[in-house]
Amino acid sequence: MFGDLRRFDSGSPWGGDWFREWLDEVFPEPGATNIRAVPRGTYPMINIGRTDDAVRVYVFAAGLAAGDLELSLQDNVLTVQGERKVAADESEGDARRPYFRRERAGGSFARSIALPEGLDADRAEARWRNGVFEITLPKREELKPRRIEIQSA
Amino acid sequence: MNEITRQEATREPRVQGSEGAGGERDRALQPPVDIFEEGNALHLLADLPGVTPESLNIEVDNNILSLEGEIRLEMPEGMTAIYAEVRAQRFARRFTLSHEIDGDAIEARIENGVLHLRLPKKPSHQRRRIEVRAA
Repeated sequence: MFGDLRRFDSGSPWGGDWFREWLDEVFPEPGATNIRAVPRGTYPMINIGRTDDAVRVYVFAAGLAAGDLELSLQDNVLTVQGERKVAADESEGDARRPYFRRERAGGSFARSIALPEGLDADRAEARWRNGVFEITLPKREELKPRRIEIQSA
Repeated sequence: MNEITRQEATREPRVQGSEGAGGERDRALQPPVDIFEEGNALHLLADLPGVTPESLNIEVDNNILSLEGEIRLEMPEGMTAIYAEVRAQRFARRFTLSHEIDGDAIEARIENGVLHLRLPKKPSHQRRRIEVRAA
């Protein structure tokens, strides 16, 4: 069963987003920015979802194979790091290859992201398919939602 | 320092306006691409994480090349989002081809979410070396 990515769309209405992006570009935000916020389109992009018994992190890292991404969890901060070689890097010295566009990010990267508290790092699992890494971090027993029976008086 | 956020290397995947009656459903991310010329062909690399060979659709119509791929993730029922940078269900991008590209000979493969398209030139347009003769 494949879900719908729009589920991630809990935030703003999307219709006017191009306009806001343009506004952000022309008039940078004067206020304070979250210290861990990243510019849009940073590689790799990350989505996080939550179910009753686990937190799932999706790392959209096109071009990386299973062994290319290093994951570590300290307290509740997940760090993903690795390196991606793009053709653009390899041929840096190759003047005979004319480029028309170079939009894909290459080089080494490291990103950290805070997760909710109370995850069981020892039981974490990671899978990888089609350039997406999926990390499942089960919640500790005591944090799972519990049903409370109502007893008749 | 995260080199990958270098301005010139990063293109944020922009959200395109929806087309037609599909409305919200049709929202698509624009994937970053590299395009270069090598060996009498143009090569196009596109980052399409989460797109499978089955969910990828490549078409050439009237010299317009369209790439479209649905992002397929396994998500358990009842999951709620707590943070999202990818906020669309699919990638889409279109390019106009010049007349020297042989539309019938385009080859495509996708590996680890990276699409590699090879767009060969028609034989009549292949690169020829021009000798410069001394006067």
